Amino acid sequence: MSVKMAAPILRSCLGRALAGPHDIGRTKPAWLAMALVAISFLSYPAIASSFSATNVAYYLLNIPMAFGLSLLWGYGGVLSFGQVAFFAVSGYVYGIVSGNFPDATWATWAGSLAGLAAAAALAAALGYFIFYARVAAWIVPILTLVLALLLNTFLGLTAGAQWTIGQVALGGYNGMTGIPAFQIGSFVFQDYAFYYLVLGVVLVSFVGLRAFVNSHRGQVLMAIREDVIRTELLGYDVRLEQLFVFVLAAVLSGISGLLYVQWGNYITPSVTSLQQAALPVIWVAVAGRDSLLAVAIVTFLLNQLSYILSSAGNQYALVIIGVFLVAVMLFAPEGIVLRLVRLAQRFRIRKTEVA
Amino acid sequence: MADTISILYQFGTNASFLLLCALGLIVILGMMNIINLAHGEFMMLGAYTASAAVHQGIPLPLAVLLAAAAVGLFGVILERLIVQHFYGRELGALVVTWGISLILAQGALLAFGPFMPPIAIPGGSISVGVYSFSIYWLFLIVFCVVLLAGLAWVYRATNFGLEARAAMQNPAMARALGIRVNRIYMITFGIGSALAGLSGALLAPTTSIAPFMGQQFVAPAFITVVVGGGASVIGGAVGSSALLSLVETPVSFLLGSFWGSVALLVTALVVIRILPGGVSSLGRRLLPRLAR
Repeated sequence: MSVKMAAPILRSCLGRALAGPHDIGRTKPAWLAMALVAISFLSYPAIASSFSATNVAYYLLNIPMAFGLSLLWGYGGVLSFGQVAFFAVSGYVYGIVSGNFPDATWATWAGSLAGLAAAAALAAALGYFIFYARVAAWIVPILTLVLALLLNTFLGLTAGAQWTIGQVALGGYNGMTGIPAFQIGSFVFQDYAFYYLVLGVVLVSFVGLRAFVNSHRGQVLMAIREDVIRTELLGYDVRLEQLFVFVLAAVLSGISGLLYVQWGNYITPSVTSLQQAALPVIWVAVAGRDSLLAVAIVTFLLNQLSYILSSAGNQYALVIIGVFLVAVMLFAPEGIVLRLVRLAQRFRIRKTEVA
Repeated sequence: MADTISILYQFGTNASFLLLCALGLIVILGMMNIINLAHGEFMMLGAYTASAAVHQGIPLPLAVLLAAAAVGLFGVILERLIVQHFYGRELGALVVTWGISLILAQGALLAFGPFMPPIAIPGGSISVGVYSFSIYWLFLIVFCVVLLAGLAWVYRATNFGLEARAAMQNPAMARALGIRVNRIYMITFGIGSALAGLSGALLAPTTSIAPFMGQQFVAPAFITVVVGGGASVIGGAVGSSALLSLVETPVSFLLGSFWGSVALLVTALVVIRILPGGVSSLGRRLLPRLAR
C-alpha cells in the first residue's frame, strides 16, 4: 500500500480513536480549547516560580487515578471505593525499592516498575475472586473499601525495627520519608522537570485512554455495563474483560501513587484512610463518570480547592466532602460538568432546528 | 472442660459481635437490595444516645431501647429525605450513603468532641477453672438468639412480614395486589436502622465511644453481609456469622486481631468464589433437594 493510500485510513482511525463518540469535547472549537489549555500548561513554568509549578503538579498528579475510576465506574459499571489502596501499594513499593539503592541510577526505574507491578498483582488477585465469581454489583465497592481500610490498619502497625526492609523503614503512622525523586541517568526530575513529568504523564494517559474507550475493547467494556448477559452471548468473556479493566485502573492509581511519593518524598498510611478513599469517588461523581475530559477538569479544580481548604486547617473537610457527594447524587446524578455540557448541546440543537 | 467452655465462649462472643454488627445491614439489603454504608455511623449514633442517656441516670436497658427508637426514627427520616430516591440504583445508593456516613462521623466530632466518657460493663464475671467469663457478653450471646427469633417471628408470622416478603420477591406484583411497597421499604429501613442503633448501644459498654468508632464496624459488618448474601435474611446472618467466627477466632487468638480481620477478608473472597450468592444461597440450593 502506498503512503498516499494509507494516509486517509490512518487519519480516519486516528480521528475515530480521538474524536469517537465516547467522550465530550469532539467539536473543532473544543479541540482548539483543549490545545490552548495544553499550551498554557506547557508554558506555565515560564511565568511561575518553581514553588507554584510544584503545587500545580500536585493538583495534576491525581488525574490518572481518577481516570482509572472513571473507566471502572463510568465506562465499565463497576464501582470501586478502594483505588487509594493501589495508590498506596505502588508508592510504598517504589519507596522500598528505590530507597535501597540510593547510588544506582536505575533504582528509580526499578522502583517504578516494581510499584506498578505490585499494584497490578494485588488488583489481579482480588479481581480474580471478585469477577470470576460474578458477584452482585454492590460487593465490589464494599470489598475494595475493606481492602483499603485493612491496608490502612496494617501500614499503621509497621512501626519498629522489624519493619525495616533493607535500609528503608516503613515507619508506622509516621510513614516513610526520604523517598528519592525519579531520575533518568543522572537527570533528576525536580521542580520544573517534575512539573513536566506530571504534565506529560497526564496528557499521554488522557490521549491513550480516550483512544482506548473508542476502541473495540472500550466498546466491549461499555456493552458489559449496559447488559452483561447480552455481551456474553455475543461471545465475549465478561469476567476477563472486567478483570482487565480493574487491573488497568489499579495501574493508573499506581501511577498517581508514584508521582505522589516523588512529589513529596514521603508517604504515610493516611493516604488509604476513609477520607482519602472518598476523594476519587467525589472527583468522578462531580465531573460525570463517563467522560474522561470532565473527570480531568474536575479532578484538577477540586484538588486545588481541597489543597486550599486543608492548608487553612479546615475541620469541616469531611462534612463538605459528604455534602458534596449527597448533593451531586441527588441533584445531578450524571455529574455536574456532563449535565452542563448536555444542556448546552440540547440548546444548540434546538437553535439549529429553529434556523 | 474449662478449655472447651473457653473456646465456645470465644466463638460465641465473636459470632454475636459479627451478628450484631451486620443484622441491620442484612435486613435492609435482603428486603430492598440497598446497602447502607452509613451503617457504622448509625451504630455510633446508637452508642452515643445510649451513653448520653446512661450519664443522665437512665438505667442501661432503657437507654438501649431509647437508642434503638431514636436511630430507627432517624433512619425513617433519612429514607424519606434521601434514600427513597435511589431504589433500583444500588451503586448510587452506596455513594450517597457513604456521603451521609462522612457527614455523620465528622458532625459527631464537631458536635460532641473527640471523646465520650465510657460506660461501665454491667454484671460481673463468673469463673470456671482458670478462665473468667463476662456475664454481659454471655447475655449478649443469648440476646442475639432472642433477637433472631423475634425477627423470624415478625417475618414469618405477622401480616407485615408476609407483605414484606411479597415485596421482596416481586415488587411489581406486590404493588398490583395492593401492597404499599414504598411504605414497607420505609418501615424496613427504619427496622434496619433501629437494629443498628440497638447494636451500637449494646456494644457501647464493650468499646471506647468516639465519633469515628463506626469505622471499626465497617469491615466485620460488610464482610458478614457479603458472606451471608441477600437470599435469606436470617439464614444468611446466622450462617455467615458462625462461619466467619469459626475462622476468625483461632486466627486472632494466634496472630492478633489485625490478622483476624485479614482472615475475614480472605474467607469472604473464597466464599464468594464458591458461592457468589453467599451462604444463604446454599439453603436455597439445598432445601428443594431435601424436600424432594
